[in-house]
Amino acid sequence: MFLAHVNSLQASIFSSLAVVSLLLTFVMLGSHWLRNYVYAFAVQSWLIAALSAAVGYFAGYPELYVIAALTALFRGLALPYLLMRILTRLNVKRELHAALQPSSSLVLGALLVMFAFIIANHMNRQSLLSARVVIMALTIMLSMKFIGFLMLAVRDEAVSQILGLLVLENGIFLGSQILVPGMPLLIEIVILFDLLIVVACFGMLVRFLVVHAGTTSSRELNRLVG
Amino acid sequence: MILSNAVLQILQVGCVLLLAPLLQGFILKAEERVQRSCGPSIFQPYRDLWKLFHKQSVVPESASWIYLSAPIVAFTAMLIVPILIPVLTDRPLPLSDMGDMLGGGMILTLGSFAIILAGLDSGNVYGGIGSSRAVMLAILAEPTLILVLVGISLLAKAMLPFVVNHLLLGSLSVYWSPAHLFLILAFFTLLLVETDRLPIHSSTHLEIYMIDEARILEYSGPLLALLKWASMMKQFILYTIFCNVFLLPWGLSQLGGPLGQLGSAGSLLLKFLLVALVVIVVETVQSRLRFYRYQEPLAAGFLFAVLAIVSSQLL
Repeated sequence: MFLAHVNSLQASIFSSLAVVSLLLTFVMLGSHWLRNYVYAFAVQSWLIAALSAAVGYFAGYPELYVIAALTALFRGLALPYLLMRILTRLNVKRELHAALQPSSSLVLGALLVMFAFIIANHMNRQSLLSARVVIMALTIMLSMKFIGFLMLAVRDEAVSQILGLLVLENGIFLGSQILVPGMPLLIEIVILFDLLIVVACFGMLVRFLVVHAGTTSSRELNRLVG
Repeated sequence: MILSNAVLQILQVGCVLLLAPLLQGFILKAEERVQRSCGPSIFQPYRDLWKLFHKQSVVPESASWIYLSAPIVAFTAMLIVPILIPVLTDRPLPLSDMGDMLGGGMILTLGSFAIILAGLDSGNVYGGIGSSRAVMLAILAEPTLILVLVGISLLAKAMLPFVVNHLLLGSLSVYWSPAHLFLILAFFTLLLVETDRLPIHSSTHLEIYMIDEARILEYSGPLLALLKWASMMKQFILYTIFCNVFLLPWGLSQLGGPLGQLGSAGSLLLKFLLVALVVIVVETVQSRLRFYRYQEPLAAGFLFAVLAIVSSQLL
């Protein structure tokens, strides 16, 4: 396992890339504007692509370059483009009735990061540098998952729910890049195409909702119609 | 030649005392220049202080001794803090272990507390509003300040600002660690809030937007001059902490000779120039937030501080 031989330069590169992607998750959590969510998601995907490339370079997995290119292409360009199209078609600019104010969700997100850190810290008690990188990756993976769940829970606009799902997935992907960099190429490609299908399906669903229900906010979709 | 410790200590305080209006003048001037108007001279705050000290003082009938003593308490508090922080020398002077970072924070807050009491004491409506708003802001900002101090002391394993300065000077890897970068961001948010800048404080002086200014609306003459000077010094002190303890720990006199003191005063002004330019950019691009959105920048600051503490445990 290459993490056993990581040096301090590699550790700092990995940790800064991962920490900045965590920060972008908070941008999504704290902003009012739907457009900002998409931009933050795109930048986050580019950072994760850079992380894959860095891991591929330092650990000597050439197939990770392919993963990095595919990540940048699909998550960094195609998905944000599709989301932007959905946004312009929907004509919603901001989340109006979120269940939590942005500031309280930021503080809640900070608490979730601490919780993730406690969980990750319980898994490893060595003080080696490699152990620290593992804890860092686990913390950031878990906190991005928690924040994705939080976004799914407190937002009710359909687009922000897709983004919550995508953040959740980005977190798992980021963690897997650092923790198990040798994951077979095929699985990664399958995941990427799955995401594309998820977003396409959501786009269809959103169009359906607009036509038949007149709204895309889950707040108003709570009445059963038989 | 190396100056004696007493002289160095006096120089630290004197530097804050004398250069604080210059910083304020520069920020005001540069803001006007950004908006393509001419702006007052950078020495205007000195002239204002001079003018106010030669005016008569009018005291409201309802005011008590609190009203009269608050400016002196605020001014004295700002004279004490420079003893505790590295302003010109980066080695601890004998009196600098009177208080650690929490002690310095307490004395800074004591000054604002005295002014808040005076705002309530004056009996003016705006004074009351200003005091209540200032207290709300303090409640929102204080957790972030405490967390920043905890974060920096976890990083340096010490509560003295001099130790932090030495740590950052000594190792670049600590300087570029995510924990330290997050602390810089968190402290910058605090800096904007505590020095009356946008996105929370208004730059136009209308009573309805006033927070810190509303508390001292009733003051006039020398007492007002003391209050204004104290607020400029508070700004200077916070900039000093931001530059010398967090952002740019370089360029401080190590031996304590007269030339070194002069040089570090010069480098301090250069650093402030950089920070002030960033502050001016923020002031220009930001609009003032609504009253009920004050917590958002402060929640972001809190978040940065929490992230800093988490990542200081990581690497």
